[in-house]
Amino acid sequence: MAKALEANDLEIRFGVQTVLRGFSLALASGEKVLLTGPSGCGKSSVLRCFLGFVAPGAGSISIDGEGLTAATVWRLRQRVAYVGQEPDLGTGTAAQAVERPFHYRANAGLRRNLDRVPELFERFHLARDLLQKDVGSLSGGEKQRIALISAILLDRKIFLLDEVTSALDKAGKQAVADYFHSRDDATALIVAHDPEVFSFVQRIVALPGNSQAKEAT
Amino acid sequence: MNEIVHIGPWELAAAYLLLAFPFAIILWYRVPMLGETVISLVRMTVQLLLVGLYLQVIFRLNIVWLNAAWLMVMVAVADVSIVRSCGLRFRRIAWPVSLALAAGTTAPLMLFTGLILGRHNLLDAQYAIPIGGMILGNCLRADIVGIRTFYESIRSTEKAFLQSLAEGASLHEAVRPYVRKATQAALAPTVATMATIGLVSLPGMMTGVILGGASPATAIRYQIAIMISIFSGTAITVALAIRLTTRTSFTPFGLLDPAIFRDRPKK
Repeated sequence: MAKALEANDLEIRFGVQTVLRGFSLALASGEKVLLTGPSGCGKSSVLRCFLGFVAPGAGSISIDGEGLTAATVWRLRQRVAYVGQEPDLGTGTAAQAVERPFHYRANAGLRRNLDRVPELFERFHLARDLLQKDVGSLSGGEKQRIALISAILLDRKIFLLDEVTSALDKAGKQAVADYFHSRDDATALIVAHDPEVFSFVQRIVALPGNSQAKEAT
Repeated sequence: MNEIVHIGPWELAAAYLLLAFPFAIILWYRVPMLGETVISLVRMTVQLLLVGLYLQVIFRLNIVWLNAAWLMVMVAVADVSIVRSCGLRFRRIAWPVSLALAAGTTAPLMLFTGLILGRHNLLDAQYAIPIGGMILGNCLRADIVGIRTFYESIRSTEKAFLQSLAEGASLHEAVRPYVRKATQAALAPTVATMATIGLVSLPGMMTGVILGGASPATAIRYQIAIMISIFSGTAITVALAIRLTTRTSFTPFGLLDPAIFRDRPKK
């Protein structure tokens, strides 16, 4: 069966600096994997490689068994939900930020998912009146949870989560962990500095500080 | 109405006497722009004298292809000026911007000379060159604002732009908010000018038509028509320039190619 996410012999370079070399990783469908390692070792870049936001110097990326290329990237991105570090929700109110992705043609048929906003707000301990607030006035933790809700509403089966709980309190972190723990159907590649929050993952992959990556289980 | 008064070489020289005032201010306060001012004055004089001579020939001959060629030269000069002012790589955007400028100038110009003025010769030098020049000059200013706003906005909010791609936006959908912002920035000065025109200053074309001997009633009709043409031309040029340069400025993965900028991003 095709892997949900697969990176083969990946090399990531920024200018003359090689951040990662010879890195391989495969996630089966429904698997949750935590990616750890010291700052600057390339964790976020690995996630961004799966979206085509970072072009690997060498190696290949596959999503659901299909190679990520210029021709496939637009379709494959629609299978992946990405929540980045310190998400930028754009301008306007939180409600507008949550609704924005549904204006895109790719998500036009998912508009009914917005009915789940109240339930998800409750689940992630967010007050309903937050929806009317300007995104500029939201705290880091509120932005993280709204970005997460926005990603969940897109009904995608693969999640790339980059430090999504870094600004949350203990209860908020637990709510996020409980959600993904309960999603047996979802594949998740999670970057986090607090592995204890994501204790339910099947594997932890440690990226070393140098450019020689190893896979640990 | 009277014919316009001719300005002879000595009378023109007298105009330079007016420079005594700015030069006195610059020297008195030691404003560090004396050299720059002298160079600009010399350039203005030489450029306008040469253009005047050339235009006299063009107006006398009034050959359609020569008039069109002159308009294309103006488009090319405007193109170079825009690309330089936007801080973008010449090779990447010069061609799309020149196409946008040509379309944004030609369409309103043809409607002006053909539909409004009813000229059989749409490229009659007497009308096509000054009107085309006015439309192009405004397109140039609007394009610089529009293109720069578009690319700088995407660069400065890259995270939000990438998030929209991750959420499933096509490139066209992802750039739409930036196109909106750039178009607004580019058109705002013309919209503001239209709102105050005639109250704050007498506009250039109206002044020219009055000086040329026409009645103020004729002059305001020309002015209204040219303002609408300018607004129309700037809208076409900005929208088209952004649309066409987008094809050459983004990678096949939908990312803004950093190589499009001549400088490094501001930290």
